[in-house]
Parts: sequence; C-alpha cells; structure tokens
Amino acid sequence: MKRGLWVGLVAALVGLSIAGAASAGHADDVLAKVKSKGELVVGTEMQFAPFDFLENGAQVGLNADLFREIGKELGVKVTFVDLPWDGVLPGLEAKKFDVVAGPVTITKERMTRYQFTLPIADATVALLKRAGDDSVMKPKDIAGKAVGGGKSSAQLDQLKLFAETLPGKADIREYVDNNQAYADLAAGRIVAVANSLPNISYVAAQRPDTFAVVTPPFGQKVYFGYVGRPDEDSKTLMAAIDDALRKIEADGRMEQIQKKWFGLKMDLPDSVPEPGF
Amino acid sequence: MSAIKVVIHSFPLLLQAAMTTFVLSLVATAIGLVIAALVCALGLSKRRWLARAGAVYVSFFRGVPLLVQLLLIYYFLPFIGIDVPSLVAAVVGLSLCTAAYLAEILRGGLASIPPGQREAGEMLGLAKSQIWRRLLLPQAVRSMLPAIVSEVTLLLKASSLISVIGVAELTRTGQNIAASTYQPLEIYATVGAIYLALNLLLAAGGGMMERRFGLARR
Repeated sequence: MKRGLWVGLVAALVGLSIAGAASAGHADDVLAKVKSKGELVVGTEMQFAPFDFLENGAQVGLNADLFREIGKELGVKVTFVDLPWDGVLPGLEAKKFDVVAGPVTITKERMTRYQFTLPIADATVALLKRAGDDSVMKPKDIAGKAVGGGKSSAQLDQLKLFAETLPGKADIREYVDNNQAYADLAAGRIVAVANSLPNISYVAAQRPDTFAVVTPPFGQKVYFGYVGRPDEDSKTLMAAIDDALRKIEADGRMEQIQKKWFGLKMDLPDSVPEPGF
Repeated sequence: MSAIKVVIHSFPLLLQAAMTTFVLSLVATAIGLVIAALVCALGLSKRRWLARAGAVYVSFFRGVPLLVQLLLIYYFLPFIGIDVPSLVAAVVGLSLCTAAYLAEILRGGLASIPPGQREAGEMLGLAKSQIWRRLLLPQAVRSMLPAIVSEVTLLLKASSLISVIGVAELTRTGQNIAASTYQPLEIYATVGAIYLALNLLLAAGGGMMERRFGLARR
C-alpha cells in the first residue's frame, strides 16, 4: 500500500524530531560546551561604531579587538553573528550564540533579565548636534526643540528624564536605528541626537563638517557591558570572560584597544557597579 | 568622503551582496516551483483530504507575513531542537513562501485551458502523458509566464527581508555601509538602482522566454 508507506514515513519523521527536541532540551554548562567545541559564538550588530562596524566588508571596532583577546585567554576561536539589533537579544535566548557583544548599557532593569560582564566602556549619555549650530551650546539648550534617540535605549530613557527637568520640555523622537537619527539630524529635522559619548564622539570625528559633540555629558553615570543568558548554565562562561577582561585590563591591552577606538583611556570599575539608573 | 567617492568605494561590496540577493532569489524560485507543482497537484487531487492539505498550505504561507515566517524558522526551530543556519533559514523561508503564490499561478494557468482541449486529446486517443506534455503544459506555461516573472521580481525585492535573520544581502549590506560611512542617502540610492537593474534583467529574461514559448504570436 503506497499510502500506508507515506503515513509511516511521516510518523517516523515526527517521532525523530520529537526525540531530537528532547535531547536538545538537556541542560549543559555553556563554558564546557564552548571549550569542547573550541568556539565562542558572539551575537552582535555591526552597525554600532566604534564598537562594531564594517570597513570594506570586514568587521572592525572595539568588539573585534577585545574579543580576539578574550578568545586568546579562553583558548577558543571567536565567531561573530551579525544581526539587526532587534534580533540579537532574542537570538541569545534562542541559544543562537553564547554571548552578546553589543555592547549593552548596564541598567537596573536589564540586570534582572540578563547577566552582564564587567564594564568595558563608559556609556554616559551626551548630545550630538549639527556642526556650527549655535542654538545648542549646552545640554539644556534643547528645551522646547526636537531631539532624537534610539528606541528603547538606556540613553533615550535618560534623555526623557532630563527633558522633564527642562522648562518647555522637548519634543523627543524615537528611532529604531541610531543611523536614521543621525540622518535626520543632518537633514535638520531634529536639533540633536542623544547617545552614549563614545558613539557620538566617533560620529563627530568621522564627519567633522556635519556633526559636533555637545559637552558636557548629562544624566547618570552608566557603563557598557557584554551580555549573557541569565541561567545557571551561563554563569561559568560569564565568570571566565570577566577573568579574561581583568587580565586584559591589568596588562595594558585594554588601554591600547580603548585608545585605538575612543582616542582615550576610560577608567572602568573592576566589578559590575550597582547602576544608579 | 564626497558622494561619488562613497559610491565608487562601496560599489564592489554592494555588487557582491547583489549577487547573494540574485542567486538566493533564483534558488528559492527553483525550489519554490518544485514545491508549487506538488502543492498544485495536491490541490487538484480528487481525494478530498489531499486537496484540503494543498489549500491549507497556500492559505498559511500566503496568509502569514514572510517576515514572520523567517523569524519563526530562525528563532523558533532552535527551541524544538533544530538549529538552522541563517542562510538555510533564508532559502527555506523564501522557497516555502513563494511556492504558495506559484502554486496558485500554476492552478490558474491550468484552469485557463478549456476542458475541450483535454476532451479532444482523449477523442484522438492520446495517452494521458501525451495530453499533458503536448497539449496542456505548453499552453499553461505560455499563459503562466508573465505571472511567474512578476512573482520572481516580487521575491527578489522581498528577499531584503532575510536581512533580519543575518544574511548579508543587498539591503543589509547597504545598511552596514551607511552605518560606517554615515552617508545613507548615497548608499540607498545605489542600492535602489541595483535592485532596479536586477529586475530589468529578470524582465528581459522573462521576455526572451515568452518569445521562445511563442507568447507574442498568440
């Protein structure tokens, strides 16, 4: 009977996939898995200069340099997966990769949902404006004007809090992608973009004719870190990355990498600080 | 960098990405056509449950946005223990989706042939396979070609969606370059021009095939 054969085949396939699902659900230590595979898989978005971006089709930035050193310390190869930012944290939860590079601003709320590594950079928020725009000389000059920020970013939240304190508030526009915000700033639709100081300093350095940084930064001091899943299985991996970061910091490699991408050395706490925000 | 310099500088990368877009779209169309033929055969089956299965396939893959299908394939399958690399997820998603549309085009093409054609074949004593090969298929293909070419151009543009699962196709590569040069306008204009060129190429190919199948003479 031909049809009987088909039914049997389908039943066998379904049975196999259920068996596969059962074995994949088995818990495993992530560090042990990374070491046995010899590969650390890192999820990121390569549109976040100077941390992670593409130059002539090749990945460059602080993440690439820092993870190369982390990989050496762990004795494994590092492979990056480039996804739109919306997909990066869901991908971490779907175990598409072991850790997320981002980096991600360490906030109180996020600490309840993820594990963070040690801080790797200052993430304090500052404003980017059009070069030569005299109407925005200090952060509070944005009162009553249109300002942009990255949707659901910690920097946008700080911008909102800051705007509340201003007379006449500010018209805050949310962008899915920071680069759209920069484009709107250049086009004159908004007067400033709020983002972390390292990000906007890099933008201004790349296009000095178009953009300038408004100093000083404002709001709470916050830091960038890398992110792992909150489960027990990820604990050992996160601890191993922290140990690697301490070593990289101690022997001066961190300073070298920071100078290369930020133009200066950032002082970082040697434990994950309690975020004030 | 000046506008022209940015475009010239990024053009080789964009072209390479355009190849990915083009090849993936054609591969997905080829696989999609095979699936579509099966689905169409199911739909035309006299067994009720087979015909129902074909209809369910078409309504699911036409009714759920391709973006959601891709996300399901890429993010959901790992939860049930099947880890698909992004390139595989992309080809699977595009093929399954375009197959639903192609199946309907095939069904429409076959339905457009008057029943008298088949009856005439039977009267002349032609075998079933001969009726299909010599009578029905040539006429059906002829009437389906414009719709198929149009579906391929739609797929080529829809393939920009696979950027959400991390395939560096044309749109994603354009975004990446725009993000590192901070000159989005120049890059997106170039990306748009490349899509247009690819689709003109497809339309020209479609035109050649139509002439080959004698559509113009009809």
